[in-house]
Amino acid sequence: MMAESTTLEPRWCSYFFLYDGSKVTEEGDPTRAGICYFYPEETPLDQQELLCGQLAGVCRCIHEMSRSPARLVRLRRRKFAIRMRGDFLWALGCTMDIPDVSAWAFLDHLISLFRFYNGSIRQSYQLRSKEELAPQWSHYLDHLQGGASELHHIFSALNTIDSTHIDPLLLLKAALILQACQRCPLVVAGCISYHGRVVSTQMPPELTAMVVVCQRDPQNLDFAPVANGLGSAGPQTPSTSVNSTAVFLSPAELHALRYPPVDRVHRSVSHPQQTTCAGKPRLLSRTLSDIPEPTGLVAPRASFQTMLCSTGSSLSDEGGSAPRVSPEPTHHPFPSPASGSDGQALPHFLANQEAHQAGWPNGLPLPRPEDLRNEGDLQGHTYKDSMSCDNKGEGATEKRGFVNQLEKLSCVEDRDGTRGTKESGKGNQEDDHKTSEPVEEELPLVAMALYRHRVRGLVLALLVEPHFQNDAVAMEEVYHSSLASLNGLEAHLCSTALEPSSAQGCPYTFVHYDCLQNTLATNLPFTGPPVPAGEAQGTVLVKAAALLHTHFSQDAMLQEVILRNAGSAVYGTCNSAQETYFLQQGATVRNSGVPNPQDSAFSLPTKARHKLLKHGLNLL
Amino acid sequence: MAAKSSLFKVILLGDGGVGKSSLMNRYVTNKFDAHLFHTIGVEFLNKELEVDGHLVTMQIWDTAGQERFRSLRTPFYRGSDCCLLTFSVDDSQSFLNLGNWKKEFIYYADVKEPDSFPFVVLGNKLDVADRQVSTEDAQQWCRENGNFPYYETSAKDATNVAVAFEEAVRRVLAVEDRGDHLIHTDTVNLHRKPRSSATCC
Repeated sequence: MMAESTTLEPRWCSYFFLYDGSKVTEEGDPTRAGICYFYPEETPLDQQELLCGQLAGVCRCIHEMSRSPARLVRLRRRKFAIRMRGDFLWALGCTMDIPDVSAWAFLDHLISLFRFYNGSIRQSYQLRSKEELAPQWSHYLDHLQGGASELHHIFSALNTIDSTHIDPLLLLKAALILQACQRCPLVVAGCISYHGRVVSTQMPPELTAMVVVCQRDPQNLDFAPVANGLGSAGPQTPSTSVNSTAVFLSPAELHALRYPPVDRVHRSVSHPQQTTCAGKPRLLSRTLSDIPEPTGLVAPRASFQTMLCSTGSSLSDEGGSAPRVSPEPTHHPFPSPASGSDGQALPHFLANQEAHQAGWPNGLPLPRPEDLRNEGDLQGHTYKDSMSCDNKGEGATEKRGFVNQLEKLSCVEDRDGTRGTKESGKGNQEDDHKTSEPVEEELPLVAMALYRHRVRGLVLALLVEPHFQNDAVAMEEVYHSSLASLNGLEAHLCSTALEPSSAQGCPYTFVHYDCLQNTLATNLPFTGPPVPAGEAQGTVLVKAAALLHTHFSQDAMLQEVILRNAGSAVYGTCNSAQETYFLQQGATVRNSGVPNPQDSAFSLPTKARHKLLKHGLNLL
Repeated sequence: MAAKSSLFKVILLGDGGVGKSSLMNRYVTNKFDAHLFHTIGVEFLNKELEVDGHLVTMQIWDTAGQERFRSLRTPFYRGSDCCLLTFSVDDSQSFLNLGNWKKEFIYYADVKEPDSFPFVVLGNKLDVADRQVSTEDAQQWCRENGNFPYYETSAKDATNVAVAFEEAVRRVLAVEDRGDHLIHTDTVNLHRKPRSSATCC
């Protein structure tokens, strides 16, 4: 329907738009009134209307008929990942070879970025004009499309520095800088990145992904804490800057930060999640911090983030789906049964649901399904969507209650036992015709501030209490306690060759994705988003990884796959903590036809296990 | 010359725990933190100051004193204009190690003329009651090793800290002045046309 304009279009985002259905309710309302943002921005308005109108109509129709939100629409040579929330509809058009799960993650990340920096979508568009907000979307799109490799996109992984190539002491140094900042009680958590790649973080992966967005917002005024005459500015003034900006977190995100799931209760599976992407145990960070922990009431709430994970892991370690529920739900959306690509996701999802209903591992009373939905929803939209698909029959009543509960939850979140279990009667009857899922933007976001200190390529990002911005003493203290170390760390990283490891001369290539930390390890070169055509081995592995990642995400029972063509064989394995893909170079060319037991492809799993140990990767 | 601000790199060396980071922090931010963690690798801060009419930006490099951080710190010795050898007056071992620090610096900084390189020796923790190194011993070591200036400092109560860093700048300026003379006498003017009398074959 739309002109397939050029072949040079970016594969990951050919189109993106945000459509507000509430602006187009009458027959006479023009579609353009509902288009909040359209990418590419230079698309003629009538074409924008054509695409938005069609897609919004299709999604509305699916929604009305199936009572579950549309997730994916295929349109000629494009597919559109869809996110519907209240009256808002986001669509991301990408090429067909992009894994569904990756397209959803891309879209969700984009939506979360907007929410993180601008607050609720509804309020943003009430307070500011489309034109004002367009640069925001464009900035986040630029950020998401730039820098990271194809592999990072496929797995929606954090871009981290190659920790195998730098002195581990520097990672320790980075972790200590973050800890030193936490000595100021207004600092909640921090992250250090170097040229957009994470060096050390104290935040969960999904928040880390938010704070590493490079700043281009001219509205955030730089300030100079060096104005006190200490003269730390000097020759590096142009490359050093400090600023802070308002950000918005969901209550659950904030809670996870304030009371991180430190291993104070008996939770055997918690360790992988506590380690942050640079390998720094969160435990270390918190024991040294001066922030008082509200002992006595932390246990139930603090563990909520990992609870789903631990439940899933303990029940089905082989179920590749378990960690996708809780640690980074926005990155691994469930294909919803009704509208997902093939509807095969139902069994594993149900399995998860049963797991929750079996009760919490820490002995809390069994929560009711609505509570579960709250937990899921607070952690991300995906989980909720899947849930609400399955519970559609229960009608809108519960959903109203659910919204109310969310509101209540923000008030009572520290009082265990009372959290959100009481049904609220108000509003149950109203808006019965609006069977859309709960309006997520009504979820009370908490305003925080993001303090950023840049030393050339190195950025220290700290999530701080909002009044930190007005506390000159605290700000100066944080600035001065970190400046020397940041200078030093930058000097160290600058002198360390941060070139990624190359597969040159290595008889195998691999990709190892850590689902919990949301990080990638690979010996493929990361240069540039598209894999060069000459890199045959790399291309094969990336393609195989994309294909298998889709399968793993759709089928929880799938654990190991060997994928072959005439010239090569790729071994892929997936469990709740990691996904690994391994390609042996120089495999026999006779790998074709029906495999015989002597086929070299069958030795791949053992080889992968042995070879990856050398890279410090243990295939579970 | 007075209007132009030049950047000097000054490096603090000495055993772990003698107070190098505290000295730097005291001088640049006028703060003292008794609970600093070991420095890992190197850190640095800039400080602008005026010494004898010269506007100078001093880049103070603080290094890790522990042996296990040696490989991280040594690459940053190069390019230093002055070296502050630091020991703690309540730790005789840190005083005995001064010679090793000097050697390490000269080796890794690739100092061309070690005899004329400006070193300053700092005996820190003057505030501590139980001292193990006497002023005389320290002064004697300084005399014997190249007549280095010696300062007894306390980062905790700010004694002599600024004076010591300013002395470092004076030393660098003094060396530069000498250097300027050398440049005037020994420079080869590359822009001058080669003599045309030279012929080939």
